[in-house]
Amino acid sequence: MTGPISALLIANRGEIARRVIRTCRRLGITAVAIYTDADAAALHVREADRALRVPSYLDVEAVVAAAVEAGADAVHPGYGFLSERAPFARALEAAGVTLVGPSADVMDQMGRKDAARAIAVAAGVPVIPAYDLDDDPTSFTYPVLVKAAAGGGGKGMRVVRSAEQFAEALASAQGEARRSFGDDVMLVETYVESGRHIEVQVVGDAHGTVLHFHERDCSAQRRHQKVLEEAPAPTLDDATRARICAAAVDLASHVGYTGAGTVEFLYDQASGDFYFLEMNTRLQVEHPVTELITGVDLVQLQLRVAAGEPIGLAQSDVVVTGHAVEARVYAEDAFAGFLPQAGRASWVRWPEQTWSPDPDPGRLIDLADGEDPAPQFGVRVDHALESGQIVTPAFDPMLGKVIAWASGREEALMLLTEALERTAVMGLTTNVAYLAALVDHDDFRQARHDTAWLDRLDLPRPDDGDALAFAEVTLRTQLRRAPRGPWEADGFRAGGPAADLVEHGRTLPSRAGTHGGFSVDGDVVHGGFRGWGAVRRSADGTEIVHRGHRVDLGPHRDRSASLAAGDGTVAAPMPGTVLDIRVAVGEEVVEGQALGAMEAMKMELTLRAPFDGVVTAVPAVAGGQVPLGAVLLEIEPHEGAGSGAS
Amino acid sequence: MTATPDATQPTDLRALTEQLREHLTRARQGGSEAARAKHTGRGKLLARDRVDHLLDPGSPFLELSPLAAHGMYGSPGETPVPSAGVVAGIGAVSNRLCVVVANDATVKGGTYYPMTVKKHLRAQQIAADNRLPCIYLVDSGGAFLPMQDDVFPDREHFGRIFFNQANLSARGIPQIASVMGSCTAGGAYVPAMSDETVIVRNQGTIFLGGPPLVKAATGEVVTAEELGGGDVHARTSGVVDHLAEDDTHALQIVRDIVATTPASFAVDAPAPWEVREVEEPHEDPASLYDVVPADTRTPYDVREVIRRIVDGSRLQEFKQLYGETLVCGFAHIWGHPVGIVANNGILFSESALKGAHFIELCNQRGIPLVFLQNISGFMVGREYENRGIARDGAKLVTAVACSVVPKFTVVIGGSFGAGNYGMCGRAYDPRFLWMWPNARISVMGGEQAASVLATVAGRAEDADVEEFKAPIREQYETQGSPYYATARLWDDGVIDPVDTRRVLGMGLAAAAHAPVPEPTYGIFRM
Repeated sequence: MTGPISALLIANRGEIARRVIRTCRRLGITAVAIYTDADAAALHVREADRALRVPSYLDVEAVVAAAVEAGADAVHPGYGFLSERAPFARALEAAGVTLVGPSADVMDQMGRKDAARAIAVAAGVPVIPAYDLDDDPTSFTYPVLVKAAAGGGGKGMRVVRSAEQFAEALASAQGEARRSFGDDVMLVETYVESGRHIEVQVVGDAHGTVLHFHERDCSAQRRHQKVLEEAPAPTLDDATRARICAAAVDLASHVGYTGAGTVEFLYDQASGDFYFLEMNTRLQVEHPVTELITGVDLVQLQLRVAAGEPIGLAQSDVVVTGHAVEARVYAEDAFAGFLPQAGRASWVRWPEQTWSPDPDPGRLIDLADGEDPAPQFGVRVDHALESGQIVTPAFDPMLGKVIAWASGREEALMLLTEALERTAVMGLTTNVAYLAALVDHDDFRQARHDTAWLDRLDLPRPDDGDALAFAEVTLRTQLRRAPRGPWEADGFRAGGPAADLVEHGRTLPSRAGTHGGFSVDGDVVHGGFRGWGAVRRSADGTEIVHRGHRVDLGPHRDRSASLAAGDGTVAAPMPGTVLDIRVAVGEEVVEGQALGAMEAMKMELTLRAPFDGVVTAVPAVAGGQVPLGAVLLEIEPHEGAGSGAS
Repeated sequence: MTATPDATQPTDLRALTEQLREHLTRARQGGSEAARAKHTGRGKLLARDRVDHLLDPGSPFLELSPLAAHGMYGSPGETPVPSAGVVAGIGAVSNRLCVVVANDATVKGGTYYPMTVKKHLRAQQIAADNRLPCIYLVDSGGAFLPMQDDVFPDREHFGRIFFNQANLSARGIPQIASVMGSCTAGGAYVPAMSDETVIVRNQGTIFLGGPPLVKAATGEVVTAEELGGGDVHARTSGVVDHLAEDDTHALQIVRDIVATTPASFAVDAPAPWEVREVEEPHEDPASLYDVVPADTRTPYDVREVIRRIVDGSRLQEFKQLYGETLVCGFAHIWGHPVGIVANNGILFSESALKGAHFIELCNQRGIPLVFLQNISGFMVGREYENRGIARDGAKLVTAVACSVVPKFTVVIGGSFGAGNYGMCGRAYDPRFLWMWPNARISVMGGEQAASVLATVAGRAEDADVEEFKAPIREQYETQGSPYYATARLWDDGVIDPVDTRRVLGMGLAAAAHAPVPEPTYGIFRM
């Protein structure tokens, strides 16, 4: 069913839901949000005209029912969740609700790698050259990659650089594949030593028009997770750019693609060749860089196409202005193995958005008329995180995106660095300092990076010194604001220099320099000293975020818990009867694990392991009577896992 | 009577202060570099760092007698026990004004020399007078055994520490200990006598008899940790209440404990007197160096000193035209009202009577007293004795002795003879007593003492009388030094004159934590 959209259900959450609501607002479309219990008070729910509860964002039946209940004409799936699920597209179709996206059939085709590759070949789009195992290895162009058809995680994979090495590498990879996957079917394809991830934004309508909105370079990715994205691609020459964009349009046209989609390519830096990787049949996380440089609202185009209207633009209307770079802010500790972080974001500050998110709705028409308004370069922030919000590990760890748009790449990087330095999340660690370091890295500045760059790069954790010095200046300023008195906190020492500030056991270094004034926001003081930062003092400790780097000077309360573990002796907490013992000597146990139970004073008490370790003795016997304090079990901690000071 | 200046000593106040700073810098280093490296190498914080980590961020620390034991217990000119091996002072902990006593284990293992005991007891006295919670950061091997006769048996020796703990606690003044190293024998009673106690695991030990003593006594072989380590006392013996991982953890626990004490101990708890908004002196305190002449015999107007200490440089004088050698008047210091009694020459009957009257006024009105002492004594001679200067001096001494308002004494020059008594010397229990580096203190001047002794010995007319007098003069010169005084805890510290206003303000704010009782006096001899 197609037709005008007056109510849109957004089958997503977070920043993308807010992003879609923004366009709805501008176009006068009723925005209907869905939410799970954890998100009941989320920003996207508050901003929507209406919100319906669903048990899960992945519950097809419930989401379709919500769309029907809300009387939505269409559903925007965002990205992730149900956005590329053909069954969802079919269920919506059956319910008479339009999906803002391609047909279920196209989704199916593009969702399968082999099918997608076949379509690309049919459309004349280059794919990575593959060889038949039966062919003569001397006829291959090296290097080649031997990989298990069932493979993953680098297992059963070998890079082979010459025909002489081929047989041995194949045998070894095959053996590994057999052991790892129980399947030794192998594939051989050209290996790209240094590749860049180039993707092309396309939009097709039901009237046979497919336009491209130029390319993006997303080579800065870690384990296939994009981190920095930019448009246009900094290293493509005009001829290649034209070819790659044309290839994307060819592919989309070949399948009669409708809606917004992204065709991803691997670009070989050495040869200048590019190869089709896959097509994403949805709006991408990184779509803002394209919107900024082309001036289009891709969500608006998606809705227009979904309503059955023509795109209303010609390819020549799509003009690139300036350069845009996006950085994805994740809840992860980039300097500790990228461990996901969760918790309450006690205080959040995003950089000021200087780009106007609401251009004149008539802008597209203006563009079509060839009137080119002066660009309003600036910073765009797409996020869904506010102070006090709980970040749970249940959802994607991306908290938001900071995007800078400027006249040129260098200017955009400067703008982005500044914007990242002004991003602060307290309560949990984010990758902001890592992002700032990447944007500032020479490889990235010179656009020398490739898709393996971040997997190779080992950035050191930033030194805490600057953050502590910032806190020193800030806290001294704050302390000086207290009413004057002989005991005012100026660190006075008779006959000697003033004492250093010591905050929760850390001596804050005192550094020379001028600071640019401080503002107070509740219990947070923020301002500038060697970069922007913020300090929050609360009963839970003192937290500093300086140029995106977070230093948590917590109190030591949490340390008392580890001391409570004691020496690994599990003793009877009361005189009573041992009910059962569930472990034996030599058994590995984890902290908190139930080791057995005893009954005393009509209560059943669970005996728990005080820490991770090995059971070294079990003097207790089920059914035995034990006096208070009798040793029931003994646990020895793992080497290095001890909690005591040493 | 005047003191004899020593030609080898600088007399300029600025130079004397520079010398003071050098002494302080050395003392604050604590033990030898090797001892400090060994200490920190074990993951322990140095005593003063422990204090800094304990205090609220940015809190001032009013350190008491940092030059205690200066020049004592070693060869002449040496100070083998800097600060008497213990850091003591007042600072803010969890917004409570507390007395902190921290053993410095880098100095003779933190053992108690006679001056260590005296300093520890002085800190407890300050806690008692001003109602300030006590925090003991224990890291000490106990009494210094070779000097046990000067440390152990007497009324104001080691045992008094625990007597004080019990009685301070009885008065509701919190006693908190953190055992951060050895705590042996009698020392074990510091944590045991405390209201709440912390110990650092694998570092702090508490026992009445250490492993060697136990082996000698019973043959039992036991490690220090098994005998009295953190786990033992936190889990089994119950001697301590909290177990800490390391120094910073222990200090955090102490801060948490202090946070539970009543608000009456808060830094800015309501004072028994009205506290105004603070006003800086109009005269820069730094110009004090220029106000006080280098030659102690050159007279100057003490009002110039007062103007550099009090709020707005304002002094509301009492009996300005009478007994002019004693300046009395009302002023404010850091917003606290004070009655100032300052020498401006020798004491005569009139000045003594004026002082006694003024002190009564301050007691009547509950205004703290500040004595600025620069006194060579009461006037002597037949005329004055016959008119009863001793009778008038006694009135001043009675008024000072019976005062119930907090008293503060700063020796800004000489402190000789009965002038010391009338101007609230150490024996008159000022809450705090500080000395300037130009101060001199003795029963009389060296020259006078030498002459008196020569006369008594019948040597005054001898040709070689100089040979008789020289060692006496030298003795008085040495013993009259403020460093000789501060080493023996006759004061609470030698201070930079520029800090006078600040430390008086800190002392006043500390004193404001104790209530002021109704005044009563003994018989004034009329």
